[in-house]
Amino acid sequence: MKKIKYIALLIVAFLVSNCDTNDDGFYNNVFIDVPNLVSIESLSSTYTVGQKLYVNADFSRILNDGALIDIFQTTGATQFVFSYVIEKKINDTEWEVVTVNDSQLDIVKGNAQNGAYVFGICDYNTVDETYEYRVGFPLLSTGIYRMSFGYNSDSANSVELRSVSPATRLILNINSVVTGLNSGGYYNFTVN
Amino acid sequence: MKKLFMLLLLFSFASQAQENTVLTNKKNEFRVDVLSAIVDTKASLSYERFFDGSFSTGINVNFSNSNKLNDDFDNGYRNNVPKFEFNPYVRYALSKSKSRYYFAEVFGSYNGGDFKEIIRVEGMAQPDYYTTKKSKYTDIGLGGSLGYKMYFNNSIALEFIAGFGSNLTNRDKSPDVISRVGLNLGYRF
Repeated sequence: MKKIKYIALLIVAFLVSNCDTNDDGFYNNVFIDVPNLVSIESLSSTYTVGQKLYVNADFSRILNDGALIDIFQTTGATQFVFSYVIEKKINDTEWEVVTVNDSQLDIVKGNAQNGAYVFGICDYNTVDETYEYRVGFPLLSTGIYRMSFGYNSDSANSVELRSVSPATRLILNINSVVTGLNSGGYYNFTVN
Repeated sequence: MKKLFMLLLLFSFASQAQENTVLTNKKNEFRVDVLSAIVDTKASLSYERFFDGSFSTGINVNFSNSNKLNDDFDNGYRNNVPKFEFNPYVRYALSKSKSRYYFAEVFGSYNGGDFKEIIRVEGMAQPDYYTTKKSKYTDIGLGGSLGYKMYFNNSIALEFIAGFGSNLTNRDKSPDVISRVGLNLGYRF
């Protein structure tokens, strides 16, 4: 009986020592809204097989979220990342994610990795002090396609760009509305 | 056999009564928390004054400078880091024995440390920017604990304690919960 009491006391001690409430969470996050930082190049409802669908981002370190804000001074980040998904319709109700090898992506500026989604990386250009991304996604077969930016964000019609900040610096999350998306957050197009 | 059992029982009662008497005459105790020192890099010292009945009172003082907490604070995983606590307490012994007993306590807490918040620097000639601003916080809290204490040689104390409370006046900056967990080694005189 005594042993049980000792064990219970130690368990309570352990639990209480791990007790935390408002200490939990991440406190280095900042959120702002700036529209149209990411764009779909040459918006069109039809493409042909072999064409590439380019996504662009080219934004200055000085943005306007109601007042001018220096995002480089805020974060110290030399990269901002975002994601998007390209899907192909496989029957009346289902879509499947289209994936290609990273080597098939046409990376003009920045960087990108392709898996369950395209992970876009905007690199900081120290000369003109802008974050840059331009990557083409190859359209390899005919069909009905759609692209969306909501994979890693809560919003349908916008993309969330997140700074890759050095340790101890603030992480800036920019919610940016993307032009060309329908009410469901999709850019629909056909490849012939 | 029965007589032997009665004799042992009597000896046990007599021994415990003697221990109780010795301990009752020792009214003061100092303790150091070895668990906090090892795990949390926290210096935790306590003083306890015993009264004739089951009550005692005292104060516990903590000073902390944990590398882990400081790193979590700098990296944004917490927005405050406790640095000191003064915890006065009143205890009630739940067992009859003076040499080994459970106890319950109510404690107050005056505590403080560093607090960090994000601010937008604006209204200057150059564009705005966000940065972190560090400041100090203090708060007072109230809580309760349960524990078990045992004595060796009528003077060396070993004490387990677990308890928690809540800060009351400045919870925007201070931790919501204050915990009082320790494995104390002490000397009673």
